[in-house]
Amino acid sequence: MILTSLDESLVAAAQGGSAEAFSRLVERHQQAVRAFLRRACGNWAQADDLAQETFLAAWGRIGRLRTGASVRAWLCGIGYNKHLSAVRSAGRSRVREASYEADLDDAIDASAEDKLALEAAMAELPAEQRACVALCLAADFSHAEASEALGLPLGTVKSHISRGRARLLQALGVSDDAS
Amino acid sequence: MTPADKNGADDRLKALFALDEPAARDPVFSTEVMASVMRRRFQEDLAFLCAATLAGGAALWAIWPVLQPVLVTLSQGFAPALGVLALVACALIVVGGRIRTALGLAS
Repeated sequence: MILTSLDESLVAAAQGGSAEAFSRLVERHQQAVRAFLRRACGNWAQADDLAQETFLAAWGRIGRLRTGASVRAWLCGIGYNKHLSAVRSAGRSRVREASYEADLDDAIDASAEDKLALEAAMAELPAEQRACVALCLAADFSHAEASEALGLPLGTVKSHISRGRARLLQALGVSDDAS
Repeated sequence: MTPADKNGADDRLKALFALDEPAARDPVFSTEVMASVMRRRFQEDLAFLCAATLAGGAALWAIWPVLQPVLVTLSQGFAPALGVLALVACALIVVGGRIRTALGLAS
């Protein structure tokens, strides 16, 4: 609750033109936005570029953010739209793929096999389903918050999460009778 | 699958997802973002000043035939004061927004 009110006061100050307040919002939410985009894109370098574009767009649109709205969900919504635009444009550089592979190699450890299986399964999910999974299963967004961020109906979000979760667990070799 | 198994599966997923979690604090990323924001702000200020200059120049050109005789008449007595006023007006246009923001007066 305190964190939410801190966000509200920072948003109010940023709406008044305070770059310092906006800078604190960037510090507070960069982790959530970048993590979401990494999981949605599957490409760390591209995700960080998109995150930077997201914050730049947010600076221009901060005046439109209504009081009491979730800043994290709003930022992820902007990021998701940036991601969809990037997916639609065919001219993305292949150089970044190499960078991503390098990042992946760095992350390899005892659970590397599971991690790679998860990455592969995530890559096969449709974009909307993947975004829902990235927000709700990986980042503890509520279904309502994810619905707000992605602009999807609540029922669709729940359905995407249920199906996405089942596919990921299947890829990891975990049976999922509950779904 | 029991609730415990379900939680275990979710925990496993979360642990794997956590491997690509960025650092909670990343000064390099934050600095890059704010540098982009400041660059954008500078470009917007520059565009505004260019537009204001062009509009002012066009207005001056349009009213010059009327203004010139008046200025010639007034210039004898008011030239120094008008020069100072012009400088103050320029300074207010350039830094006025920043001062309002610093004083918390900007809406």
